[in-house]
Amino acid sequence: MLGERRHFVDEFGEKIKLAQSELRNKSKNWEELSRKVDKSKTSWLLAGISSPLNITSPLPKRPSNYTAISSDGSQIFPDRHEALPCYLINISSIILNYGDNSGANLSSDPVLFYKEQDRFTLWDGKKIPANSEVISHRRTLMEFERLLDLVKETSGRENIISISDGTLILWRLEGTPSDFKSGVLEPFLNIMEELKNRRVPIVGYISSPGSADVINVLRLGLCPEKVSYCNQCPYTELPKLPCAQVEGLTDNNLFSRVLKQGERSAVFRSSSRILESYGDHHIYFFYINIGEEIARVEIPKWVAEDNKLLTLAHTLVYDQAKKGKGYPVAIAEAHEQAVVKGKDRNFFFDLIKESMVKADFNVTISRKGLSKRVPGV
Amino acid sequence: MDHIGEVIESSTKGFVARSPRVGESPSFGSFVKTDSSPVVYGLVYEIITQSSEPGRRPTAYDMSMDELKREQPQIFELLKTEFHVLTLAHTDSKKLNFTLSPLPPPIHSFIYECTDKEKKELSEQDFFLRTIVSSSNVPVDDLLISSLYHASTVRKDDSEYIVRMGKSLSRYFKDDYERLSSILRRVLY
Repeated sequence: MLGERRHFVDEFGEKIKLAQSELRNKSKNWEELSRKVDKSKTSWLLAGISSPLNITSPLPKRPSNYTAISSDGSQIFPDRHEALPCYLINISSIILNYGDNSGANLSSDPVLFYKEQDRFTLWDGKKIPANSEVISHRRTLMEFERLLDLVKETSGRENIISISDGTLILWRLEGTPSDFKSGVLEPFLNIMEELKNRRVPIVGYISSPGSADVINVLRLGLCPEKVSYCNQCPYTELPKLPCAQVEGLTDNNLFSRVLKQGERSAVFRSSSRILESYGDHHIYFFYINIGEEIARVEIPKWVAEDNKLLTLAHTLVYDQAKKGKGYPVAIAEAHEQAVVKGKDRNFFFDLIKESMVKADFNVTISRKGLSKRVPGV
Repeated sequence: MDHIGEVIESSTKGFVARSPRVGESPSFGSFVKTDSSPVVYGLVYEIITQSSEPGRRPTAYDMSMDELKREQPQIFELLKTEFHVLTLAHTDSKKLNFTLSPLPPPIHSFIYECTDKEKKELSEQDFFLRTIVSSSNVPVDDLLISSLYHASTVRKDDSEYIVRMGKSLSRYFKDDYERLSSILRRVLY
């Protein structure tokens, strides 16, 4: 086992060295590589490039006054073994004002869903009960709605940033029927439009990312073909594919060796399929060294192309991560406020049963639910 | 007058109140009252500021208080200040009774600082000293000293009063000269 581990470490070291030199080499003629990225059809996600791959931007000076906004959600899924078919979504609100007139608002608002229109959703023309997938999408949308509400509340402040936990690419919607997809995507893009009009940057923060979009561009660069089509790969007979030389690395592995603390990478364009519907809000991303780790920061096109907003996003994300000892404090607090624990879940269903009993309803729960509640010996 | 606390735990011998603002509290040994009926009077004997969420502990930031307020404003929302009060007396149809209240103050009653008149009435006799001496789980000696300080301040350091209370203390500690001497020396310091 240790022998295998040694082999892995050696091979990893070689791959990283190659990736670093490829990043430098391919930056010289990045326009050509960019065209190859646009024309090729690969089986992996490729980062769109519009500048040399290896450029780094130093940490800009932070404005002394700024406001960080965040929201997170948590839910209690419906349980058919419980007395009533209902569910709960708890959405947190975080406003952190820094500098003059500093202060913090931390709160959360739980919403109970029990009406017919809450419990069912249109899925490919059919009415289906809201399952965990549907509820998760509803929750995501509510988080972004809350972000926009908070931005409106703080409209008098300068240098506002809204930070969302995780990706801004709603890739889970890929493969859902169009009626459901548009029910989530349209309001989401309307929120993005409002944020754009208000010039408030929104970022999706991904801690310790596992993505390899930039590594995949280097793989494409290693492919001897002029334009690559993975499904017609002429090198399958070779013992090792030319593109496999840096396979298995992540962008995190690469940029942790490229970026110094506070620096960000070039801005890349994501090529997720769902983004074809994003229009002006197409998602771009950069990597940033926040000291403790590399993070991936996703931004919409209008932030990527606006140097002022991009600079603001860079410096404020870094400051937030520093304040939170390696993880943005606004997102960490948003999670703390939103989180619903197992104990809360039991309390929630007990409360429902108690209310039903008080209102003279018969309360029946399934035998399975009962057996979990009163296990015998 | 604004309230300085809200009862969050209540018992016959005393109660715990939460301050409306972190880090602010009536001082140790001060006389406070509830807005309940009967009004319950007591002495602050413990003040605690800590994390308001179980499982989250404050950590060091290496910043001045002013820097913390500008750069880490959320931490003040995550802390709470509570103070513990030892019951001394209660009102019974407007009369002050130096006994425990028949009922403890209801949870969520507001706490106010006593007026100078009330402080004088509460400390006129030595009952409050007796209550402190016979209480367990309170820092007896320091509470005697601090409450006497508050009682004498409201009397503009009336020396006759201090002598009278000193005599009472000498009766309570007649078997422990060292302790009595330590308390009295600190009262007069």
